[in-house]
Amino acid sequence: MSAPMVCVPGQRVARKDETIRPGPGTYKRNGFIYSSLAGSLQKQQEPDGKIKSKCYPFTMLPVLHPRFCKCAIMSVGKTPLKESFRGMIRKEDVRATEKDRVEMYKCFRPGDIVVARVLSLGDAQSYVLSTAENELGVVIATSEAGATMVPISWCKMQCPRTLMEEFRKVAKVQPEFIEYTPT
Amino acid sequence: MPDTRRITGPESSLSPYTFSADFTATPTQPLNNGVRADGRQEKQHRPVYLQAGLITQARGSAYAEFNRTKVICAVEDFQMQGQITCEVKFATFSCQMRRQPVQDNQEKDMSTQLLEALEPAVCLHKFPKSQVDVYVRVLENDGSALSAAITCASVALADAGIEMYDLVVGCTAKLHGQTILVDPTVSEENAPSTGAGKPGGQVTLGLMPSLHQVSALAFHGDVDFDVLSQAVQTCQDSCQKLYPILQQTLVKTVTERMKDT
Repeated sequence: MSAPMVCVPGQRVARKDETIRPGPGTYKRNGFIYSSLAGSLQKQQEPDGKIKSKCYPFTMLPVLHPRFCKCAIMSVGKTPLKESFRGMIRKEDVRATEKDRVEMYKCFRPGDIVVARVLSLGDAQSYVLSTAENELGVVIATSEAGATMVPISWCKMQCPRTLMEEFRKVAKVQPEFIEYTPT
Repeated sequence: MPDTRRITGPESSLSPYTFSADFTATPTQPLNNGVRADGRQEKQHRPVYLQAGLITQARGSAYAEFNRTKVICAVEDFQMQGQITCEVKFATFSCQMRRQPVQDNQEKDMSTQLLEALEPAVCLHKFPKSQVDVYVRVLENDGSALSAAITCASVALADAGIEMYDLVVGCTAKLHGQTILVDPTVSEENAPSTGAGKPGGQVTLGLMPSLHQVSALAFHGDVDFDVLSQAVQTCQDSCQKLYPILQQTLVKTVTERMKDT
């Protein structure tokens, strides 16, 4: 295989036609595809099936408030972030049903790891996140005794040490978002 | 209350070389037998040296050298609203006259001109949540500092991995009546227009060479319109000649980085 072609911003990469679509780091203009980054060029065959673009950030919750909770976005999908971004889950975005009866402290606690979806860019400070799906919510949580809790229902988790039950908005974790690291 | 413990020196100081015959002798003619004071042709750019990624602490960086004009640039990004800011600063020792450490009006002016030149090239919509800060420091000023800053900053932005529609190449031209001097040195910049009623001026152009679009145009002086348009065309040609140097610099940096990983 030959060495990959190195592109600089503004370099013409290819002629735009039916078979080629601009990917990340490129843009199209006047019937051509140009590079917008300095780096090596890769051409990929696209899978036929449409891929629904999903953005699942993993977040850690540092601050809890009765109306919203602030969190730090640690990774997006399987990509860990170099530095965390600020996010916010509003009370009405915690779950899909019975939105008005949500009590924040029964859903999240500081220190929980949460899977959420980005709703919007939000304001200058933080992204607006949502956990209003069965697949979204708390993944990892520690109990008051300090042990990692085990989910027992969609709204409860149990501490294996003290057998205390605590309320959480538990996520039904999807296998495509789990990455097992060999130990 | 006056500060009695401090020895109050004069507010500004001059290099002794300022008074030497060599410095005060301004060339009476911009061209001598079609050749400039440093032996260049009218439309000949000084040799350019560029290097990217030399400041390891910054997200991206670049260094540019137009013979004795030396400029260094660093790019940082923060989580903020999507915008780009520029800061140009002359090092205190960069000019014949000592510069003050605080930013003066000329540097503020250059910062806005640099921002104007870079902003159209950066895909701002790609990062709605982060602010890009461009810091340019002129280490030695031997003329055309703004064009060196534009060229250097665009390479630094590309090195930082910030998405851009195109690189921006800067070029300055000094106008003496009908003569157009590309990439003037400081003595050419400061030389007064010769003769009574002979107009002169200086034009700086920022060009996106691949798209062939002008991103910034700054002019001061008083010249005929056709001379100005001719100067802009000359600057464009000069930018197109410099473009391969920028490309090669970035390709070199990227290949080296790919080798390391």
